[in-house]
Amino acid sequence: MKVSFVSTQAITQAMRYQMARMQTDLVSANKEAVTFRVADRGLALGARTGMSVSFHRDIDRLKGLTDSNELAASRLASTQVILNQMKDDADSLLSAFTTALSSASDPNIAKDQAEVFIASMTSSLNAHLNGEHLFAGINTDVKPLDDFLDPASTSATEFNELFEGHFGFYPDDTDVSDITAAEMEDFLDNVVEPYFMGTGWTDHWSSATDQQIVSRITLTETAETSVSANIDPFRKLAMAAATISVLVGRDLQSTTKSALLEKAISDLGAGISGIANQTGYTGITEQRIDRANERMSMQVDIISKSLIDIEGVDESEAAVKVNGLIAQIELSYTLTSRMQQMSLLKFL
Amino acid sequence: MSLSTALNTAQNSLLNTQRQTSVLSRNMANADNPDYNRRTAVLSSLHPGARVVDIQRSTDAALFKQNLTALSGWSAQSKIVYELDRLSLDVNGVDHATSPAMLIGQFQEALQLYSSTPSNRTLAENSIEMAREVVRSLNDGSASIQSFRSQMDGEIAQGVEELNSLLADFKKVNDEIIRASRSGRDALDAHDTRDAILKRVSEFVPISTISRDDNDLMIVTADGTTLFETDPRPVSFEPTVVYGSATVGNRILVDGVPLAKSTGANTTGGGSLAAMVQLRDSFAVEMQSQLDEVARGLIQTFSETDPNPPNDVVAGLFTWPGAPNVPAAGTVETGLASGISLNATVDPSKGGDVERLRDGVAFDFNPDGNASFSEYLIDKVNSLDEPMTFVTNGGVTASQSLMTFSAGSISWLEDARKTASSAAETKSATMFRTSEVLSNLTNVNVDEEMALMLQLEQSYAASAKMMQMIDEMLQTLLSVVR
Repeated sequence: MKVSFVSTQAITQAMRYQMARMQTDLVSANKEAVTFRVADRGLALGARTGMSVSFHRDIDRLKGLTDSNELAASRLASTQVILNQMKDDADSLLSAFTTALSSASDPNIAKDQAEVFIASMTSSLNAHLNGEHLFAGINTDVKPLDDFLDPASTSATEFNELFEGHFGFYPDDTDVSDITAAEMEDFLDNVVEPYFMGTGWTDHWSSATDQQIVSRITLTETAETSVSANIDPFRKLAMAAATISVLVGRDLQSTTKSALLEKAISDLGAGISGIANQTGYTGITEQRIDRANERMSMQVDIISKSLIDIEGVDESEAAVKVNGLIAQIELSYTLTSRMQQMSLLKFL
Repeated sequence: MSLSTALNTAQNSLLNTQRQTSVLSRNMANADNPDYNRRTAVLSSLHPGARVVDIQRSTDAALFKQNLTALSGWSAQSKIVYELDRLSLDVNGVDHATSPAMLIGQFQEALQLYSSTPSNRTLAENSIEMAREVVRSLNDGSASIQSFRSQMDGEIAQGVEELNSLLADFKKVNDEIIRASRSGRDALDAHDTRDAILKRVSEFVPISTISRDDNDLMIVTADGTTLFETDPRPVSFEPTVVYGSATVGNRILVDGVPLAKSTGANTTGGGSLAAMVQLRDSFAVEMQSQLDEVARGLIQTFSETDPNPPNDVVAGLFTWPGAPNVPAAGTVETGLASGISLNATVDPSKGGDVERLRDGVAFDFNPDGNASFSEYLIDKVNSLDEPMTFVTNGGVTASQSLMTFSAGSISWLEDARKTASSAAETKSATMFRTSEVLSNLTNVNVDEEMALMLQLEQSYAASAKMMQMIDEMLQTLLSVVR
């Protein structure tokens, strides 16, 4: 007859099984208490694991975008500095031309000033940052502006050819003194202006592209984050400075000179206001990048929070769990040893 | 009643006590043997004074049957949990760090960074390296899935072999029991062995037993195929050594009938054989087709349209053996994940030019060679997020972005793992509970045996005392006569 309802085997087995389970639990609880995240993401989240993976990915991407925005922002900041510098230079050139026009001062002063301006403009537009020429559009590995002050340069020789093509002689010819103000105005308006504002600039002066660098500033937005040397204000400034530097020093009639200076002053004015506008546009883009960064950092915060919501564990809960398990396992050890003692054998 | 009868009875009692003690000591010796069923020495009276000991084995057929079912359920489920764990680790890496989903994310990030400074060659190299990582994770994932399948196949072959040898053992023991039953001999040890074999068989296939005359047992599988009837039925399986993506593994035949397929992460099947077939044929194959779809998504996303008529669409950065064509959407191109590779045109290790990644791989979208041309890159970064048609789990097509689909693939596997793991918990609890109850009913309790021993000791002493007393009485009688 069987009188007992428990076998010796069952007692030890149950003990062993419980112990094994608690020890496995302890390992994962320990990991949770240390990392503050669920020990096995897949087992804890199941079908939502993909969500956690894409959250992690989104955070990385947004941070990556913020980083690459820093690049675009520094490019725009440098552009901004250069634009302001050029505007100041153009302002002082304008006052020099105005003085030259109103008084009978040495016209060579205007010519020198124009040359200084061209030199500073050339170096400004050829500025580079991080291996990229800032004003080259997207053709950033090539210096955008030709050196006009070098007599052998394409831009310089082509300008002389342009003059010769219209008047039949070169600017250094003595015949220049025969040019009337009306003839000069005709040359400036109908030859020089179309040349600079049209393909002459892109063919002989600038190797920049009209297309500007496009950057992705948020997950969905792109922005033009550079200024091309081909924009109109630069062409106008270059036209004014180039005509003055080449022609004013020549033996011209004073009315012709006045016509030259008047045209140059009006071009400079247009160029300066154009640059001011460009500064404004650039500022807007800078602001867009700033806002995009702000938005993205907010997004990162929100996503991080949701990530903690789905895969984080409460720190105190994890710690309590570990302590509880340790206490339980210790209790189980004590029980085992007590039960080992509990045998009829000891009492017989 | 005479004194001699009393002496006989006392003698008989001593004999019975001795036999009971021998049963008891055998019980004690097997206290730790889970396959040992406790023996009871039952005394029965034939006619006054003459008692016979009959040795019985405690059993509970219903509980034993329940335990067999629980055992095969747990054995299947624990196999699935363990192997899914391994599959997830092999294909997706620790914390999914090397999963295609994460790596595509990092690749997109690298492209984004490159698009912000397209003139920077280092960033181009970095992007290409990330693309290579993506390709490698798909190739490696695909390779580990196939080696997983071939390993499962090998384990199935091993299991089938073991099952066959268990059935052969079963025949020996069963025959012994039948012979013993016919000749009225005691075959209790053979019963223990037979039950132990049944437990092991049920770990491979879910079974039920049918008892017949002379303690003969017949084994049928849960789906009704005979596994053993007088003789073992052959369980056959043709192993496949090398697995490619398109290889279809063979089925297990029990007596010529294919073993039923089990489905679901909380598997419907029992026994490790069905579980391994399920892992080989459904989880691994599904996982492979998801990787194939990710690979196709990549090839399609980075495909390029010829700017000149007839505007052909050809494979770009990511290519495959069927290039220059792009694999068709809507059907799974089996094995694409193992065939996807980096286009040699951009791969510096194959003499390619990394900057083609900026200008267009198959066609030149930047004919002027502008160093900061970013349109192509930005377009590709964006198109990774654009919806396209994918064949999802179960052959249904759905419109998703590559990023979503690849993350969904992780969700699918982890969901299966979670379901399987919680099912394993339930099934293991059932298994332990039924074993415990069965053990309580059939195994030995040492304390109980000790108590019985005291009883026997008393009874032995009493019988001996009785003999001594009868002896004295006989002495008295004889001295009166003398």
